[in-house]
Amino acid sequence: MEVVSYRNVETFVQHIPEVTALGVWIKAIIILAVISAIAGFGTYVERKVLAFMQRRLGPMHVGPYGLLQIIADGIKLFTKEDIVPQNANRFIFMVAPVITAATAFIALAAVPVFPDFTIPEWIPVIGGTFVPSIASDLNVGILFVLGMMAAGLYGPLLAGMAQANKWGIIGAARTAIQFLSYEVVTGLSILAPIMIVGSLSFVDFNAAQAGGVANWLVWKQPVAFILFLIAGFAETNRTPFDLLEHEAEVVSGYATEYSGMRWGMFFIGEYANMITISVIAAIVFLGGYSTEGLGWLWIMLKIAFFFFLMLWVRAAWPHVRPDQLMWLCWKVLMPIAVINVVITGIVMMV
Amino acid sequence: MGLEQFKNRNVGQQEYVLLDLEHTPQTPMGKFKQVVKRTFKPELFVGLGVTMREMINALFKGQMHTIKYPFEKLPISPRYRAIHEMLRLLESGHYRCIGCGLCEKICISNCITMDTRYDENQRKEVSEYTINFGRCIFCGYCAEVCPELAIVHGPRYETASEQRASFSLFEDMLTPIDKLNLQQEYDGFGAVTPNADENIKKTPLAY
Amino acid sequence: MSEVKTVENMVSITIDGTTYQAKEGEYILNAARANDVFIPAICYLTRCSPTLACRLCLVEADGKQVYACNAKVKDGMEITVDTPNILEERRAIMEVYDVNHPLQCGVCDKSGECELQNYTLELAVDSQSYAIPDTKREVKDWSTVLHYDAGLCIVCERCTTVCKDMIGDAAISTTKRGGEPLDKAYKETMPKDAYAMWNKLQKSIIAPSNGTDYTNCSDCGECTAVCPVGALTGRDFVYTSNAWELERVPATCAHCSSGCQIYYEKKHTSVFDRSEKIYRVTNEWNYVSLCGAGRYGYDFENRVEGKDEAAFNAAVEAFKKAETIRFNSVITNEEALMLQTLKEKMGFKLVNPDARAFQKFLGAYAKAAGQSLYSYDFKEVMVTDFVISVGASLRNDNPNARYAFNNIQKMNKGAGLYFHPVGDNLVPTFGKNIEVFTHKVGLEEAALYLVLDLFADKEKLPEDVKSYLESFKSTTTKTVKEKVMKEVTETVIDEETGEEKQVTKKVPEMVEKEITIEKNGLVELLGKESDAFDAAFEKMMKKKESFSMIVGEDLYFHDRAENIAKLIALIEQTSPVRVAMIPPKTNSLGVALICDLDDEATGYTVGYNENGDFRLSALGDGDLDMPAMNQQEGTLTNMHKRVTPTNAALEYNGYELNDLMKVLVGAPELTVDWTEKLPVEKGFRTAKFDDLPNGYLNDGTENRGYALENITCEAEAIAVEKIDENGVLEGEIVYRCNPQRQFNDFTDKAHEIFEGFGLYAAPEKAKALGEKVEIDFGGKSITVDVIEDERMEGDITALADFKSEADVYSLFGPSRYRKVTIRKV
Ligand code: SF4
Ligand code: SF4
Ligand code: SF4
Ligand code: SF4
Ligand code: SF4
Ligand code: FES
Repeated sequence: MEVVSYRNVETFVQHIPEVTALGVWIKAIIILAVISAIAGFGTYVERKVLAFMQRRLGPMHVGPYGLLQIIADGIKLFTKEDIVPQNANRFIFMVAPVITAATAFIALAAVPVFPDFTIPEWIPVIGGTFVPSIASDLNVGILFVLGMMAAGLYGPLLAGMAQANKWGIIGAARTAIQFLSYEVVTGLSILAPIMIVGSLSFVDFNAAQAGGVANWLVWKQPVAFILFLIAGFAETNRTPFDLLEHEAEVVSGYATEYSGMRWGMFFIGEYANMITISVIAAIVFLGGYSTEGLGWLWIMLKIAFFFFLMLWVRAAWPHVRPDQLMWLCWKVLMPIAVINVVITGIVMMV
Repeated sequence: MGLEQFKNRNVGQQEYVLLDLEHTPQTPMGKFKQVVKRTFKPELFVGLGVTMREMINALFKGQMHTIKYPFEKLPISPRYRAIHEMLRLLESGHYRCIGCGLCEKICISNCITMDTRYDENQRKEVSEYTINFGRCIFCGYCAEVCPELAIVHGPRYETASEQRASFSLFEDMLTPIDKLNLQQEYDGFGAVTPNADENIKKTPLAY
Repeated sequence: MSEVKTVENMVSITIDGTTYQAKEGEYILNAARANDVFIPAICYLTRCSPTLACRLCLVEADGKQVYACNAKVKDGMEITVDTPNILEERRAIMEVYDVNHPLQCGVCDKSGECELQNYTLELAVDSQSYAIPDTKREVKDWSTVLHYDAGLCIVCERCTTVCKDMIGDAAISTTKRGGEPLDKAYKETMPKDAYAMWNKLQKSIIAPSNGTDYTNCSDCGECTAVCPVGALTGRDFVYTSNAWELERVPATCAHCSSGCQIYYEKKHTSVFDRSEKIYRVTNEWNYVSLCGAGRYGYDFENRVEGKDEAAFNAAVEAFKKAETIRFNSVITNEEALMLQTLKEKMGFKLVNPDARAFQKFLGAYAKAAGQSLYSYDFKEVMVTDFVISVGASLRNDNPNARYAFNNIQKMNKGAGLYFHPVGDNLVPTFGKNIEVFTHKVGLEEAALYLVLDLFADKEKLPEDVKSYLESFKSTTTKTVKEKVMKEVTETVIDEETGEEKQVTKKVPEMVEKEITIEKNGLVELLGKESDAFDAAFEKMMKKKESFSMIVGEDLYFHDRAENIAKLIALIEQTSPVRVAMIPPKTNSLGVALICDLDDEATGYTVGYNENGDFRLSALGDGDLDMPAMNQQEGTLTNMHKRVTPTNAALEYNGYELNDLMKVLVGAPELTVDWTEKLPVEKGFRTAKFDDLPNGYLNDGTENRGYALENITCEAEAIAVEKIDENGVLEGEIVYRCNPQRQFNDFTDKAHEIFEGFGLYAAPEKAKALGEKVEIDFGGKSITVDVIEDERMEGDITALADFKSEADVYSLFGPSRYRKVTIRKV
């Protein structure tokens, strides 16, 4: 098995121009804007895909094919009254959605999204600035991302506890157990690829898999890939693990009392997380991106595939019971992950 | 859209299959086996397959179910009981209602009222006729009892109104005289049965 | 008085195996009905003669097929209602009725209460075996109220029968239809009775009997009531409502003293106007017959928006300062009792001319006869076979009295004497045995003396009366030529033998003969030839068993009313003649019994439906509105001496008399709470209003309210005076008398009653008078239109009194006839 050396990466990085603070700012703004927009667009796609799978048309009336529905929803969210329940802990209640959104976007800081480019010279002030693909290329990128996503647990947890609503409390409790439990699986499952690559940087992962489909980590670590996917669904609160706000049981869980843009922030956070998970999966297991030619398009497609997979699963599968969820985590996924790590270690040593 | 599928009401004759549900395993081994079986059986993927298939069918094979109401409307069964219509005689264009008052009498929610008078041609004229659609329960008795097939249920099922009482007058329900050629014969409640001819007793009314 | 009636023996009969009791001489159909046994029948009308038009009532009695409406029961009779043969006949009859009967139940007014529908269903006619070409039959309006759709007519002849046997107008009859003759083949194939019935049906149809297109009758509408199908209906009612939509309110007619049972039938006015309206009046026509006022005078209600407090307070003030209450007899017993209570507590004078006159008359009668009320009611009159009418304009004063008079002639093979100064050409047509005395005004006493002379047991009469009656008798000798057969004996020679023979022959010969004729001066006084009358009377009296006399308003408003009352009592005492009186207005009898009336009004007057300084009015033109009779509950005392309940058909939102009572002297919650307080000593009962029934039983028993008790009191010896010929009026005379169908302001208000206010006169007289006249009563005068009345004869004219506004009562004063000067204007 080929091991990519740190130096190789060094040289690779040296090819690119210097990253300035202005470039990072611009990148951050782009991420914020584009990911928010994509999150919105994601809602549209989700509705459409679910509708198609049920042989419906989905949104059709606002704009061509209902495209402007996103805008309508946005307007709605922005103009809706922001209600804080009487007995809620006002400050925490108001801060909680910000935590969710913030952690989701912060996580994206260490993830390579979109190719790097230099702003054309003729644009005043920022002209000539180099905008990197990763806002902050940490050498512990994966750890950072996972950590940030784990910190995102505080959003729903605090929201649920602050709103003085029994559904909220249940939602918060579910948040705690689900996120904490599956954090373990995520961590363990991704440990094996990390061991193989020997780095926590996305750039290293990308480099390690360069050179064609055959080099993708998914072939070396299929078990880890599946475990990561499953855990990813749980982490992003997607069907079949959408217990946090499962309306048949807990109304809307931690988001019960939220309305307007605060609720919207949870929403954006969730979609940002979905994108993050998709990006990680794409980079870690499916060969990441390539800087040449249509390489960026490829990763887009990979991300899109994961995103679609989430919707598809939602259309097809029922959700699980909380006890099944725990059972699955601790009795099935976690042992398999551990075994996978051990086997990977043994194989690497041999 | 055809109505065949609605018309088959022989529920008992459809082929049901009894599911062979497994029992919850008792032994640890049994449970393990079940887990393994469930894990490796591609049942979940069958589900994914089905949804994907439906999506493809919907998008590319024209099997989309959505009706874009109110721009598109489903044809309704002739037995559907929507807002009433008053029909006219096709030959003369005169309204069919003879003012017998049977509909008024039978109406279960007392929402039909009418006035009649003796007109200049020595006939009974229906001078006013109203139905309060706020009260009507669309039971169809009026259409069934009407001896003249004058009052029938039309296809207009949008009954929302701004007020609880919503009266329709005779003119509102009567086929507009210029649309007489578009008037549809009603074959729902109270219409002549397909075998009506067989039930007629012949009488020697030779004259 | 029931003991006077012949005791009807009961016989037992068996119908379909069950034994029942029936009155002897009763028709099988009536006996069955009285026992709640159903026999199909269409054409028979109780109280009228059987016409045998429908033949549905076929039954088998003692093995023979008979018509139940025409065959009388016999003791031990075995009757079978349905035999296979009879069922076949009936079905064929119903099929025949349905031949060419238009299939228009959908629009027909009768649908839902149609006997043709009912019997067609009852006899399960679901196919037709007969056919014949139809004849064009037209729809016609026979009068202002009658609508005849010949197409629907089944020629059951109920209308013609009731009009002839009950009403007396005989204004309609069967006539030629001009239909095709029946196919001869039917004669063999059809059941016999059905064929005969069809044969007749196919030939006839109904039309006015005077040959024109119009009936020119009293417009009573009874023919429309009895019509079993939708052929005859009220013009105003045609196609306005189905029978089942109408709510029936049982009531008592408020227009005249007959107090007939009626139903007000009401429903909402229209789609847009939901307030209730009376659409028609119906009755139990087998047992009671209405007049045109009762049937068509129903929309006289007083619609008020709500309680007018200012007017109410003004009324209270008016009562506080009033001395007199003026009212008429179109009020309930309860209201009369309230007025009497007011009189007792507040000292008002109660003025009501019609009831006052009747009260005085009744008082005089009671003193002489020893009973508070007259002997017969009109139901009892109806079963007698000789009827006398004195002092009533039979055609106008009271329809029920007239129907009784007519019905006796038709049904009991009866006879009648009619004494009245105003000539009338309808009464003589009631029967063959009617003698009409058109006597001079004021000679009513003479009429009663004549009755005494004709009917009284001379032994029982006081000596003076006997000799007074004798004083009229005179014998004259008269030479008459008489045909006598004389025996003549001749001697003839036999030619062959040459022998002489004595032959006796009878040869007619005219002989002059002296005969003595008894002349009755009374008959001559009343304007008839004595001997002709005697001959007629002898014929009239043949096979007569029961006698009745109707007396009317003329006598109560007579100068010599007291003497007349005594004479009547004397007649009852000494002869089999029993008397029934016609109270002048709706509730005159009740008012006369309940109220202490005064003669003259003084001071400030409150008028109740009458003129006054303050006017309470149910006509909507007064200072304070009152409910009209169709908006009130209460009881009325009718001329049958019955207290009958009436109910409110329409709502009334204003004040009632009882509300005034509450403020003035205190009163119970409801008007009808007064019902139980009606004076028992006058013959009323302490019965609660809500317990009073209002209907008829199947055997015709009147089950309405209760009958007044006829209280016996001490009788004085009757001392009658002689005829006072000074009271005789001659010259231009006006009679206070309403046209038919008009009784009071309320009938006038009804939109289907068209008879106008004015001076009614016989055609020639009317021509002589011109269009409009001024009648001078010597001081007061009134200007009215002259209206022609074809049924009147002679010179006397009749001035209507139904408009209280015109105050005709005070023009006439204490008399019904006045000598006047009439000037053309
Ligand atoms: S449908 Fe039924 S409720 Fe409606 S008007 Fe007809 S009878 Fe009345
Ligand atoms: S039942 Fe028919 S014919 Fe009769 S009144 Fe009603 S609509 Fe008219
Ligand atoms: S008379 Fe009777 S049977 Fe004839 S149309 Fe009228 S309701 Fe029908
Ligand atoms: S209205 Fe009376 S009087 Fe006239 S025809 Fe009819 S029943 Fe006879
Ligand atoms: S009009 Fe009526 S009552 Fe008279 S004959 Fe005809 S059906 Fe009989
Ligand atoms: S009822 Fe006897 S014949 Fe008609």
